[in-house]
Amino acid sequence: MAFINNSKMFPANHKTIFVLDHTPYFGISCESPIEFEFLKSRAPGFIPFNPISKSLWTCSVESAIEYCRIVWDLFPQGKLIRFFASDTVAHIMNTWSPSQQNLNHVMNGMSLMGVPPPIRQTQQSKDYSVVHGLRAAIEALGECTDLQFEKRKAMSLGDGNAKLINKCRIICITSARDNESMKRLQEIFNNCLHAHNKTAIQSDRCLQIDHCHLVIIHTFPINIESQVTQQPPRNISSLLTTEVYPIKAPLISNKLSSLILQHYDLASTTVTGIPMKEEQNASSSANYDVEIFHSKEAHTAILKGNTSDSLAIRTIKEGLEYETVTLKWCTPRGCTSSELQNCTSMYRITPVEVNSRPSLCLINFLLNGRSVMLEMPRKAGGKITSHLLASHGGEIFIHTLCTARSVLEDPPSISEGCGGRVTDYRITDFGLLIQQNRLLPIKANYANSLPSSVPKVKARLSRHTKYWPLTISSTLIFNLKNYIDPLPSIITKEKITDEEMVQCKQVIYNLIALESKHEPLHLANIGQRSKGQKREEQYKIMWNELETLLKNNCHSETHKMVYNCLIECHKFSADDSDKVELDQALRELDQMTKSDSDVRASVIRATTDSPMSPPPLTSIASPMARTNQNRSGGIYSSSRSLYDIFMSQDKSKSRIDFAGRTNDNVAKLYPNLKIENDRGPKEMEAE
Amino acid sequence: MPTVLLLDVSLSMIRPVQISENVEISRKYLAIQGINTFLDCLSVHSRLEFIALVAFSSLHEERCPFTRDYNALKLELQKLEDYDKTSIESALQGVNQMVLGEWGNNSACQIVLITDGNSGVGPMSLSESFSTLNHRNASNPFPLPFSFPAKLHVVCIAPPDDPNLMKSKPLYQRLVDMAGYNGSLSVPDGGLNEVSVVTMFQKLAEEMYTSFRGTLKCGNLESRIILSPAPIPYIKVTDFDSQTYVLSELIEVCGYIPISDVGSPMAISRHLILPTSNLGKENVPLNMEIDLTEDDATEEGKIPSFCVLLHGALKVENMSALVTVGDNWFGFIYSWADSKKKSNLMLTVLTPGSDVVPWLGDLNHLDSTDNLPPDQIGSFPVRPSEKRSYSQNGVVWIRQSGLQSDIQKILRHARKLPEKTQQFYKELNRLRKAAISLGFLDLLNGLAYIFEQECTQLPGSAHPDCALQLTHAADVLRKTQNKDIKFVILPLHTNYNSS
Repeated sequence: MAFINNSKMFPANHKTIFVLDHTPYFGISCESPIEFEFLKSRAPGFIPFNPISKSLWTCSVESAIEYCRIVWDLFPQGKLIRFFASDTVAHIMNTWSPSQQNLNHVMNGMSLMGVPPPIRQTQQSKDYSVVHGLRAAIEALGECTDLQFEKRKAMSLGDGNAKLINKCRIICITSARDNESMKRLQEIFNNCLHAHNKTAIQSDRCLQIDHCHLVIIHTFPINIESQVTQQPPRNISSLLTTEVYPIKAPLISNKLSSLILQHYDLASTTVTGIPMKEEQNASSSANYDVEIFHSKEAHTAILKGNTSDSLAIRTIKEGLEYETVTLKWCTPRGCTSSELQNCTSMYRITPVEVNSRPSLCLINFLLNGRSVMLEMPRKAGGKITSHLLASHGGEIFIHTLCTARSVLEDPPSISEGCGGRVTDYRITDFGLLIQQNRLLPIKANYANSLPSSVPKVKARLSRHTKYWPLTISSTLIFNLKNYIDPLPSIITKEKITDEEMVQCKQVIYNLIALESKHEPLHLANIGQRSKGQKREEQYKIMWNELETLLKNNCHSETHKMVYNCLIECHKFSADDSDKVELDQALRELDQMTKSDSDVRASVIRATTDSPMSPPPLTSIASPMARTNQNRSGGIYSSSRSLYDIFMSQDKSKSRIDFAGRTNDNVAKLYPNLKIENDRGPKEMEAE
Repeated sequence: MPTVLLLDVSLSMIRPVQISENVEISRKYLAIQGINTFLDCLSVHSRLEFIALVAFSSLHEERCPFTRDYNALKLELQKLEDYDKTSIESALQGVNQMVLGEWGNNSACQIVLITDGNSGVGPMSLSESFSTLNHRNASNPFPLPFSFPAKLHVVCIAPPDDPNLMKSKPLYQRLVDMAGYNGSLSVPDGGLNEVSVVTMFQKLAEEMYTSFRGTLKCGNLESRIILSPAPIPYIKVTDFDSQTYVLSELIEVCGYIPISDVGSPMAISRHLILPTSNLGKENVPLNMEIDLTEDDATEEGKIPSFCVLLHGALKVENMSALVTVGDNWFGFIYSWADSKKKSNLMLTVLTPGSDVVPWLGDLNHLDSTDNLPPDQIGSFPVRPSEKRSYSQNGVVWIRQSGLQSDIQKILRHARKLPEKTQQFYKELNRLRKAAISLGFLDLLNGLAYIFEQECTQLPGSAHPDCALQLTHAADVLRKTQNKDIKFVILPLHTNYNSS
């Protein structure tokens, strides 16, 4: 397991610093003029003006900002980036504080920074260099971030074996004269790094740098040949890995796009075939592609599966150095959010060209609450829905759907297991309980000061279920809603007002009044079945159950007053004898409803069986199930596997022999015909 | 969980074992006997497990794809031939591909490697594999840890005191450790004979297929349950932490959330919740004096189960139950249908932690409405404090088209002045602010020039305010180019818009 951990923990991308060269040289033009063709077409008499080009500084700033945009879209927390500019001194534009880790802060910093100082012959003596920025960056890498601080604190309290590893990355956009000076720059950096660690040992506040990854982008205008050659990653020392890329200024962003994929383990997906209305011709639609970035993990499932399938969807991005996976837009049918998808991973996404019209179109489609399935073609024919794009709370995510075979193939239905044959569950009442216990988020500004609410909501559920019979036939009072409401919903509250208490008492008084008037109680959802029950029995059961409900819900003094009211108003007979009668009564009630529930279980049986037919097969343990239970010594004697459930199911479907045939003696058909003949039609009615 | 039987069919497997005087059997024969026992155990207790058979030597071959038909596996075992030498690495590579192709990278699997204690010789041997472990690249990775959660069980058909086995044991152990999730290494107890091998496989089957038993609780209502497939421990690795989580036996409902609000969060695993009634005491609410479950003979299906009630209500209400499955670890329970007919109670286990579903907020800070004052209650989805770049209308001019369309938009508004005065200046200020931040001051001069050109070319029908505003904008652009971004270009007050 150590094997897995080491490779992933303490990544260098927790701390990144951009060191931007702000020396006078970066004020020069990159010599790549912006096209203004569109102006000519509008006005034929247009007098062309001096071509406009970005400066090297503008190119570096916009590319670095774009890098940040992607990182912070995908990782709102925990991936920190700082900006340093370097001319005669280092200018620091933000700190590690999360409040300064956003584009607005950085952009404001950049505007305060301004353009690089002009090149003037007389100021040659001034010490313009990128080294100032690099030195300052090393200092900054020694500072603890909030996360590192917390971790260090936790570790110092722990066993002391664990060590915080401080890895980090510097991306330096600069320009060097030749390879020699580039080499010197790296040497200076390496020395500074070692010097920092020496002083950091003695300091409490300063962290040692365990490893630094220095990426140097050497940039220049497009009309110049680079005197610096590319240098692949190289370990300068145990502390430092460096790499150098000579890049024309307008292409810095392309290079950073390839690097960001490595730095943050990202991957590119191209959503292809997005139907979009033409701006000019709204009646027709053309298909567009949109490229998005997200964590590489989102692709693991499809790329590691069938090799030939995955080869077919991977292509090198045109003009760039990285791969993109092309998946097809699948016009959404119905509402996909209404069910829980089998989603094995989910990551934030960001469009690569955030301002392009196709990107905006896709993004707005998603932000408006619709979701998009992505399809992957299969070599073997057909296609498979592999991903889901959806927005949640203004953020867009890619969900990886499970495309593989499921181990839950052919599961038994819940009605085939324990309790599956019971048909009179109090589903509606439980639905009410669910609605009463809906959870909603506490607003963030309040939540921070509160302890976890989990124990509180669990206690609430516990209060709501102090007395909660599962089935209709096991309760009387909950079937007497028209008599006892709103008492049950009031009594489960944590606190009840005096007014509510009066309401509860009123319910009790009303019942007393009814009893004294010898009014029978009409059951709300059982209908005429209560006929068979004597009125006195009914009231007795009702009072006893009501007493149980109230006794179990004495959450406060006011609750107790309701309970006491019941005790005072209704005279309960000696407990013991009463209990026996109650049980007896309920058993009778149960007998009646039981035969009723069997009827519901199978319409065919209900219409063909006579009342005294053998009991329905499901109620007789099948021989298979019996042997399973009695088996001893086996390793799974106690467990009931999916298979057992299946088998008992299968058995129960086949009919057992008619009782009259299995026994040797001849059975009399319909022995109770005369006694019971009034029950048949009643059951039919119930159906 | 699905299982791959990975059987060594190299020549060394046909080495004879002296059982008694004059009676010799091969290691391969013993291995097949063992596997048969293993399959027999399954066919009695875990008939729904998928098993596959892969034979390997220097090459490997899928002899039987994943199946629940254990007899087919047994028949296939009889047909195995003998090949050259053992190469464990390539065999594991093959298993990796096979499982990924069938079950994907998310279903946990078990791999049983059955070999004779010889870890191979030469360039394809296991010791060679390990010695090159640090020189691997992306095209040639070591197959372990597998790309899916997996337990590796190594079963050696070798006498415990075999010198080769002594040498290989640490290597095997290393494999088991690399796979993670507590696999095992088995060696026959006592000597190498049919009884010891059969016992070894029997024990292995027992260990491998223990079911998960627990309790599902909602306040005072509860039900004994089995989770299928049984959950395995989860290792969560973050930038600063790595922790192993084991599912608690008590799964407790916190409250309910509509399915549509839950979205489709990432699940580390999904399990069917099957109610059981072993403890008899099930479904009896606290202090319930009316006991309906006296009749022990009543079949399980007829004893009311809280699971079934919960399932029915969740399905009707289209809700899911948020549950705790461990310390600061959550899951969702909901009604799930494989086909239209068969509906089930399903548990989706989230990544450990309370902040794993961004749009639900901190799961430790959910509450029901009447527990708190209304001004503290939010709603789903929870929105992040900061907008993402794609909903901010930011400026990106890396590709020329971005800049061009921003300028075109301003000119479009310019032509419709004075009606579009607000939009014109809004877009103009946005562009100016970005240009200053990026140090792109030439653009402001260029834009001023474009405005002046535009003035000279206005058609006769143009509104007089148009020329005034364009000239004004051009002037201000030229003047303020070095000033700070907080400056805002305001429309010129003219007779046409001062009303």
